[in-house]
Amino acid sequence: MAETYDYSKPEYYYNRELSWVAFDQRVLGEAKDKNIPLFERLKFLSITASNLDEFFMVRVASLKDMVNAGYEKKDIAGMTAKEQLDAVNVATHQLVEEQYNTYNRSLLPLLAMNGLEVIERHEDLSAEDAKFVDRYFQDNVYPVLTPMAVDSSRPFPLIRNKSLNLGALVAKKDEEKRLIRRHLFQRKSGTVEKELELAMVQIPSVIPRIVQLPEKAGVKRVILLEQIVERNMDKLFLNYDIECVFPFRIMRNADLSIEEDDAADLLKEIEKQLKMRQWGQVIRLEVEEGMDQRLMEIIEKELMIEEQDIYYIPGPLDLTFLMKMYGLPGFEPLKTKPYTPQPVAELAQDANLFEEIRKHDILLHHPYETFAPVVDFIKQAAKDPDVLAIKQTLYRVSGNSPIIAALAQAAENGKQVSVLVELKARFDEENNIIWAKKLEKAGCHVIYGLVGLKTHCKITLVVRKEEHGICRYVHLGTGNYNDQTAKLYTDLGVLTCNEAIGEDATAVFNMLSGYSEPLGWNHLALAPLWLKDKFLFLINREKDNALANRPARIVAKMNSLCDPDVIKALYEAAAAGVKIELIVRGICCLRTDVPGIHNNISVRSIVGNFLEHARIFYFENAGKEEIYMGSADWMPRNLERRVEILFPVLDESLKKKVWHVLEVQLNDTQKAHILKKDGTYEKVDRRGKPLYNAQEEFCREYMQLATAKVKEAKEQRTFIPETHMDET
Amino acid sequence: MGYQTFAAIDIGSYELSMKIFEISSNNGIKEIDHIRHRIELGTDSYFTGKLSNERIDELCRMLREFTQIMKSYKVDAYKAYGTSAIRETKNTLILLDQIQTRTGISIEVLGNSEQRFLDYKSVASKGQDFQNIIEKGTAFIDIGGGSMQISLFDKDSLVTTQNIKPGVLRLREEMSRLSYRSYQLDEIVDEFVSDRLQSFKEMFVGNRGIENIILVDDYVSLIIQKGLIKTNKSGHILVEEFLDFVDQMKQKKSQEIAHTLGVPEENTSLLYLSALMIKDMIKILGANMLWAPGVSLCDGMAYEYAEKKKLLVESHNFEQDILACARDINKRYKSSEIRTKEREQNALTLFDALKKIHGLTKRDRLLLQLAAILCDCGRFISLNNVGENSYNIVLATEMIGLSHLERKIVAYITKYVTEPFEYYETLGKMTTLTRESYLRIAKLTAILRLAEGLDISHREKCEQISISFKEDSMIITVETNADMTLEIGLFERNATFFEEVFNVKPVIKQKKKNF
Repeated sequence: MAETYDYSKPEYYYNRELSWVAFDQRVLGEAKDKNIPLFERLKFLSITASNLDEFFMVRVASLKDMVNAGYEKKDIAGMTAKEQLDAVNVATHQLVEEQYNTYNRSLLPLLAMNGLEVIERHEDLSAEDAKFVDRYFQDNVYPVLTPMAVDSSRPFPLIRNKSLNLGALVAKKDEEKRLIRRHLFQRKSGTVEKELELAMVQIPSVIPRIVQLPEKAGVKRVILLEQIVERNMDKLFLNYDIECVFPFRIMRNADLSIEEDDAADLLKEIEKQLKMRQWGQVIRLEVEEGMDQRLMEIIEKELMIEEQDIYYIPGPLDLTFLMKMYGLPGFEPLKTKPYTPQPVAELAQDANLFEEIRKHDILLHHPYETFAPVVDFIKQAAKDPDVLAIKQTLYRVSGNSPIIAALAQAAENGKQVSVLVELKARFDEENNIIWAKKLEKAGCHVIYGLVGLKTHCKITLVVRKEEHGICRYVHLGTGNYNDQTAKLYTDLGVLTCNEAIGEDATAVFNMLSGYSEPLGWNHLALAPLWLKDKFLFLINREKDNALANRPARIVAKMNSLCDPDVIKALYEAAAAGVKIELIVRGICCLRTDVPGIHNNISVRSIVGNFLEHARIFYFENAGKEEIYMGSADWMPRNLERRVEILFPVLDESLKKKVWHVLEVQLNDTQKAHILKKDGTYEKVDRRGKPLYNAQEEFCREYMQLATAKVKEAKEQRTFIPETHMDET
Repeated sequence: MGYQTFAAIDIGSYELSMKIFEISSNNGIKEIDHIRHRIELGTDSYFTGKLSNERIDELCRMLREFTQIMKSYKVDAYKAYGTSAIRETKNTLILLDQIQTRTGISIEVLGNSEQRFLDYKSVASKGQDFQNIIEKGTAFIDIGGGSMQISLFDKDSLVTTQNIKPGVLRLREEMSRLSYRSYQLDEIVDEFVSDRLQSFKEMFVGNRGIENIILVDDYVSLIIQKGLIKTNKSGHILVEEFLDFVDQMKQKKSQEIAHTLGVPEENTSLLYLSALMIKDMIKILGANMLWAPGVSLCDGMAYEYAEKKKLLVESHNFEQDILACARDINKRYKSSEIRTKEREQNALTLFDALKKIHGLTKRDRLLLQLAAILCDCGRFISLNNVGENSYNIVLATEMIGLSHLERKIVAYITKYVTEPFEYYETLGKMTTLTRESYLRIAKLTAILRLAEGLDISHREKCEQISISFKEDSMIITVETNADMTLEIGLFERNATFFEEVFNVKPVIKQKKKNF
């Protein structure tokens, strides 16, 4: 008889934070990849930097909170918060080192070779260039700077989270005049040579970080803003001598945990939290390598930061500026040719979406296919006289969102518009509040989230009064209603008027409006009440099938996998013989070296030009295959603390298409990283296998589909009259 | 558009709910939305007789939201019914006026029998499933917050119905006053409920075999409907399986029940109490199968609306149920079946012949028929004051399908058949009857008195009657060879009242049959 194992033991799990760092390493791998166009590599390096910022603000901050609170409970992998923090520190220091190695040793020389010179130090400017930047400083930068000196009458100023600052030690030119100061320094010799004061200035975020210098012999040259300010520091502190100037940057605890039960008005509470966020504990300090020790000591002391949280950076701080560098014109050959999302082949231009949906369900695959049908769905509903109501959940939307505009228009047209705006979407609160108020003003019924839960599901319901009764049109998706990110994130969505799904969608919005749960669900499974049980049921059903020698296989694609109950169920299913193929982009706490699972579980992570974001779940179910999609990852926060929706793909032809998405990703040999038994990730062993890039494959397929459609239209021997004018 | 959108609002003891329906003659009734909000109105009204200000505020807020939802569906009509929690407030009128002013929603208060009738209609709307079940001896159990209703079917007609207190919310409140250990709950509920059920069984079930129980409630039905108890057919469950399920629940904590069954934890106490009540009913009534059709009062309201708008073909003959119920009462009070039949026939013949004169409806015909059946039942108590006795019996006996007002009308008719008729001007001070209801009573009494007069000796002499009109007279020709001297002699007494009401003089003529 086969040996049985207790799969809940911590040794069968990876720590989620370290798994996250491993993910950022994979992104960094793209920046290192010589086969990738140079500017794309810059972009990936920038992404690793912004990822790391968020990781610190949320995850590291949370670990610090736990350590401060004396929280001893161990994580899924059996580590205390302190142990995790220590391990994370080592890993992130290493990651930062690799980031700058890549930047300094690979990318900078390559940029120079390709006609873009980055002048790293202002001291290296020629006299002519120096004159140019000084003028630039005078005209553009100086007016927006706020220099600050620190003494007893002016305490240490607030350093804004994530802002880039210059710290300087300055000495009064008139040494006779003694000032009462907070910080008095003596040179190590013990003799008082100068009395130094601390001075600071924040590098303004309203001015571009990258400043272009006049071209020289066809070479584009740039310098970073902080270098220009540093060069002109003496103009900010006129009566002082500048002893030294160094950039530094801090990261504060941004874990926005609102006491929702106590918040009488959630909106106000969030606004308050936003203001407070800047004052959070400093959890990371980045300083330029070689910073003056005296300056270092003051900053360290004032910010109350420990040595292990200081990062000495051998290059420019905050590499997210590389994303702006990516946007510099004139380097198109060094970038991947931009992909234009293709029109959805089965939808004619200006098609009446309601008519099309009535014919059959429509699958949308972004960004390969355009997001326009989703926006049009709301736009058409807003204008359609037969539409009674539009209901939608909004998590993160783009700045000038056409969806918000359409919803507002619908309300103005007398439709009943209900929008659940999730104010708790991380770092987006400020943005969310603005347009939520805009919607309310237009007459929409706005629900500002649910107490204690984040509403993460992506669902839109359009109720239409038709000849034979009410018809409900539903869009369900895996990605946010954001027309901008839909060009970069890979997501799937379905447009349907399936009656049972429509009933469920109505029930979802009733629940979100605060009414009691429905008496039952037809097809949808919702977190936090039912979803986890549904997943466990589906996994266990495969296990039972395997035990009964029936076909049993799971293919699941998601962003993160760290729910212990789900992982345990997967181990048990694999031990019973279920073949499990996981496509997990980011965190994965599941191991593949667990005893008894007979190599039945494989994990791959695809990191490509587009951000893999779709959640797809395939269950073979003894030959009666079921495919689900949804908004939830297999994480405790998704399954237990958020409102999420899992929906089945019911239409057989759509099922085939979604399966194809999984199949292509399982065949990727170029961008897929395989989780090895030692916990590291490695690119697919390509020996004997052709080069196959899933994302490129999809681009190709959708372009072919669109081209075929255009060709088909051209070959038609009948004319197609335009029936209405385009509204411009 | 060939359909109507209808909203049904149920202001229940522990829940406020609204269903939106689409109703058309082609597709029948289709539910398109169901909004529920938990609000324990019963907790206030059953024990204090009033709703607290907080509850009224919450109720009004929800009703205002409901109006928005109705608006969004562009509903053609709505109906809002309050049940026992509203009915049992001491200041119902003031309360309803306040709600209407604040929300614009006009709430009608349903009498118990009307409420149960709607529940019953919604079950009957399940069509063939329902017909199949009631072919065998069936008890229909409707558990509400304040009380429960048990009705019995005999040969596919509903023959008796009784309202028994407590309902599940009231029971929970009663239990909360007692001090007991959790494992004792089962026994205490049993003691509390069984006695009343036992009396019901002895008086009404007799030797009728009960094979099926149809269950309407807000908790157990849901569990059965969801298939959370092993069932062979959706909504159907064998009683052994149900009893096993109740035993399993007994072992579990509230949190565990909520998790296993996927119900909110706040509902588990009421769910368990409902289950215990049903267990007791099964024990006393004896049944093999439980059917939970999963309908609610709102479904009944939609059915009623569809019926009224003639969008629906009646799936079950409900009038037949009411008549069967009346006959069962008659039998209980040992009235003569043959006499009743003759009186009934005579009354209906007169009613039909007078169609052009009386201006009454089909529903009034039914009330007349009921009065004709029931007007002798007072004899069971005393041979004197038969009218007064019949009046009291009718008024105290529920007939599912009759509103309280209709029952009152029937009661008055049975009274005035033999007792002197009281004029509105006298009665008006003591009764809540409207002028319109009073006139209905007067007209129907006049007809029934005449019918009664045709067989005053109670010898069933009339074999056949025919009616004809001549100038201001109505000629009633009685075809019989029996001696009609008494009837003709005393006819004048009843004829005077008839003439006063209809301004037509009735004349009786005997026609001997030829051999």
